[in-house]
Amino acid sequence: MSTEMPRMFFREAIARAIAEAMRADPRVLVLGQDVGAFGGAYREFDGLYAEFGAERVRDTPVAEAATMGVGVGAAAAGWRPVVSITYMDFVMLALDPLVNYGAKLRYKTAGRLTAPVVVKTTAGARGQGVAHSQCLESWLMSVPGLKVVAPSNPADAYGLMRSALRANGPVVFVDHKRLYPIPGDGPAPDTEVPIGKGRIARHGADLTLTTHSFMVHTSLQAAVILAEEGISVEVIDLRSLAPLDVDLIQASVSRTGALLTVEEGQVTCGVGAEVAARLRERGAAFAGARMGAIAAPVSSNPVLEAVAIPNAERVARAVRLLLRTRDSGHVDAGGGELSAL
Amino acid sequence: MMTIRAFEQALAARPNHGFQLLSAGEEAVAVGLCSALRPGDQLLTGGRSIGPALARGVEPRLLMAELLGKAAGVNRGKAGRGHLADPESGFFGAHAVVAGNISVAAGVALATKLSGRPDIVCILFGDGAAGAGALHETLNIAALWRLPLLFVCDNNQFSVSTPRRAALAPRKLSDLAAPFQIPGRTVDGMDVNVVAQAIELAASGVRAGEGPAFVECESERFAAHSSTARETRSREELKHTRARCPILRLIAELQATGRLDDTSLRALELEVEAEIAGAVAFAEAAPFPDPREALADVD
Amino acid sequence: MLYRLATPVVGDEVVEIRVLQWHGDAGAAFAPGELVVELETHKALIEVRAGQAGVLRRIFAPDGAWIRVGEPFAVFSDGHDEPMGDDSAAEAAFLADFVID
Repeated sequence: MSTEMPRMFFREAIARAIAEAMRADPRVLVLGQDVGAFGGAYREFDGLYAEFGAERVRDTPVAEAATMGVGVGAAAAGWRPVVSITYMDFVMLALDPLVNYGAKLRYKTAGRLTAPVVVKTTAGARGQGVAHSQCLESWLMSVPGLKVVAPSNPADAYGLMRSALRANGPVVFVDHKRLYPIPGDGPAPDTEVPIGKGRIARHGADLTLTTHSFMVHTSLQAAVILAEEGISVEVIDLRSLAPLDVDLIQASVSRTGALLTVEEGQVTCGVGAEVAARLRERGAAFAGARMGAIAAPVSSNPVLEAVAIPNAERVARAVRLLLRTRDSGHVDAGGGELSAL
Repeated sequence: MMTIRAFEQALAARPNHGFQLLSAGEEAVAVGLCSALRPGDQLLTGGRSIGPALARGVEPRLLMAELLGKAAGVNRGKAGRGHLADPESGFFGAHAVVAGNISVAAGVALATKLSGRPDIVCILFGDGAAGAGALHETLNIAALWRLPLLFVCDNNQFSVSTPRRAALAPRKLSDLAAPFQIPGRTVDGMDVNVVAQAIELAASGVRAGEGPAFVECESERFAAHSSTARETRSREELKHTRARCPILRLIAELQATGRLDDTSLRALELEVEAEIAGAVAFAEAAPFPDPREALADVD
Repeated sequence: MLYRLATPVVGDEVVEIRVLQWHGDAGAAFAPGELVVELETHKALIEVRAGQAGVLRRIFAPDGAWIRVGEPFAVFSDGHDEPMGDDSAAEAAFLADFVID
């Protein structure tokens, strides 16, 4: 990959990574709803059907469980499918073949079979209601044998999809509805985004903020607000949730002494809970807090949805509260989930 | 069939036999089915895997070692009965989730079709799996995509304690294929020749590129569902059931037509005995895996 | 009179739009209904057609360039010879909108 890539839409990064892989390896397939002539719900598979045809780019009926089973089965038999699950909420329907077969196949056969499948799915709230809004990536982080990645921009979407398509086992590639309108620079020539490595999205000195996916943009906006108040936030884009880049986070927290984890999913057993726990086990000393969706389903109602998930103002408020906690030695809980309203 | 019966008896006789689902009574299904499969085909099963694995050609000593948890086993002792896989022998694998392997088999069939090979894939499942969404979703996709997939339902009349008629509404389980325009047939699963012929016929259509086919084999299991499940049938019922032994039936048939005499039968019995004894000895002598293998092959 | 060409109103949280293809260079005249430029959002293609007669005088965002929603990206005038001011897109922000279809 030595040629310069132009600024592109998020969807183009994905389509490009898959197209290149499909040209290089005839065993790469795409399976899912509306992936063929329609090009995907977000046009993230644009052009693939025209170039590779119906044999390799296959529309499926609405049957996530069977689609995932076909995907992991074809992978076990030597192919490299991308299984598209349009809404992450419906990964739930596909968990048995993904977790019980795909993630365990290498282990249960003692290496005789493996399932190199990429599950591409879109999470996030955007006015579509309680069953079409969820961010469930933390549910998958604890499955041995399963890798989970979450890009926040086109360059990383390209890099992580490339890496996922070359992995030796199942990888879940989670993106977000609200990432699609945000274009970004193409990847730098000859760079890779390996699974397991995060990146520092913004350098800072006062507090470490770890986050992923769309919340990276929200967090960066919060960092701009805080910079005007003289607070310098280091924003880490995790990029890879399983495995987590704990070394990168630890190096940052050892400088700042404060960690705010931000996610759009639930904080209970969430991404942030795992990040914080791993750092504590390594002996890191820090004041910590987690931020995520409120503990309620996310309605399509615009007023309620806006309240349910973090925004830049509330992230900034959480940073200020955490710094007060660290500096005073007392926990400032800030008055509850909806107290900022 | 005799090998399967003797193997399972040797296994069940051990105090450390583990959690097993045995094929006693259902040997004709396993053997009849495998007689119609060719070297390039792949067989996937559910949890009742011992009979089918042996019928497919998995080596008895490697299988016994696997079931006893030894590192010399088919999957280094890590699969056990529920997950054993020997793809080089055409036994792509067992999977212990009821109906869990059905859509996986469709994926293997898709791979087979895309590779241009003339082989077929067979998924063997019980009546217990016939109510699962996975079966219906897979029948649909297999028909739509004309996958080289042979569905074989070993209907032993029970899903643990639930009789088949209390669990499944169709008149015959092969009727489940009809809405998807997949040819389906129900045959006597206690007669190995009937099974063999039915599978051969169904498989020939699949091999010819006609898409999937479905064969239901009505059988009876001679023991409880598993080594830990309670038997629900009365002694009278069991006596009646065990009288329908597919092995005795074939022996009687061969003897009646002069193709098997007492000497040959005895020779077969001794051969099986020796093979199983060898398998047990091999497995007993083999070491357990190093505990550090608990973290091997995770990803 | 000079006019600025700004991006049309689009929903769907569109942040930036890519200019796909201009259908005329500086100096080209457009009648009402004629296709001026094709734009691309993350979801769809947008055809920008002239809503009034005018002459395209200056393009700030050529093919392949990115523009923010609402940002002026070209200047039109009624006639060919009207004097242009400063070159910049910033100046163009103060102009009236060129009517589009």
